[in-house]
Amino acid sequence: MAQFKRKRRLFRRRKICRFCADSSLAIDYKDPRTLRFFTTERGKIIPRRVSGNCAKHQRQLTTAIKRARTIALMPYAATMSHY
Amino acid sequence: MRRYETVFIANPELSEEQRQPLFDKLNGLISGDGCMLVKFDEWGPKKLAYEIKRHARGYYVLMDFCGDGSLVREIERNMRLDDRVLKYMTVLQDTAVDIEAVKDEIEAAKEQESKSEPAEQAIGGSTEKEESGSTGTVGAPASETKVPENTPETREQEEQEHGTI
Repeated sequence: MAQFKRKRRLFRRRKICRFCADSSLAIDYKDPRTLRFFTTERGKIIPRRVSGNCAKHQRQLTTAIKRARTIALMPYAATMSHY
Repeated sequence: MRRYETVFIANPELSEEQRQPLFDKLNGLISGDGCMLVKFDEWGPKKLAYEIKRHARGYYVLMDFCGDGSLVREIERNMRLDDRVLKYMTVLQDTAVDIEAVKDEIEAAKEQESKSEPAEQAIGGSTEKEESGSTGTVGAPASETKVPENTPETREQEEQEHGTI
């Protein structure tokens, strides 16, 4: 049990919100290049628990991605050939 | 007064002469009391992420303007009826703007443009600009990668210590 606990701890990694770490990085729906970083190849939004974003920025990011989708800057559902 | 931003996609098959009347018509709507066009930015033809009315490409235009809800309704109504516009989206930027402040902003933007133009013409000026721009962008990701690199190590060390205790 003790060994298992230690193992789990070793694999855990501390994640940092990129937008908090770098204030020059802006979230904008008109900039799909930055937003693409936070979607999967399929075009799904990457969850906070994976990307490590803070709640505030994840919220802004989600809105921005959804806006970009509306105006066809980002895909709703992409096939692999898009990338 | 509110500030809005509208992005619309015009039919990419329109020629320059065909496109201009459409833009003039939309600009004409934003004239009169209590409204003002801040920026009319043509992004140009771009590839769409998905097909819209069987078009794989589109001519993107950004309109930044001040006005109220009735103006937005009028612009959107015109875009809906016009089949030269494939799709549009309006985003509210600010609920209360001071028209004088916006005017100053436009002036500042114009000045910057006129300043940057001669600099681009001069060869030395443009290269300097590019260099400073590239280092700025390179610098940001470098600092980004540094932060997560350092922290997991220290974390692991700490955790290992805890584990042995």
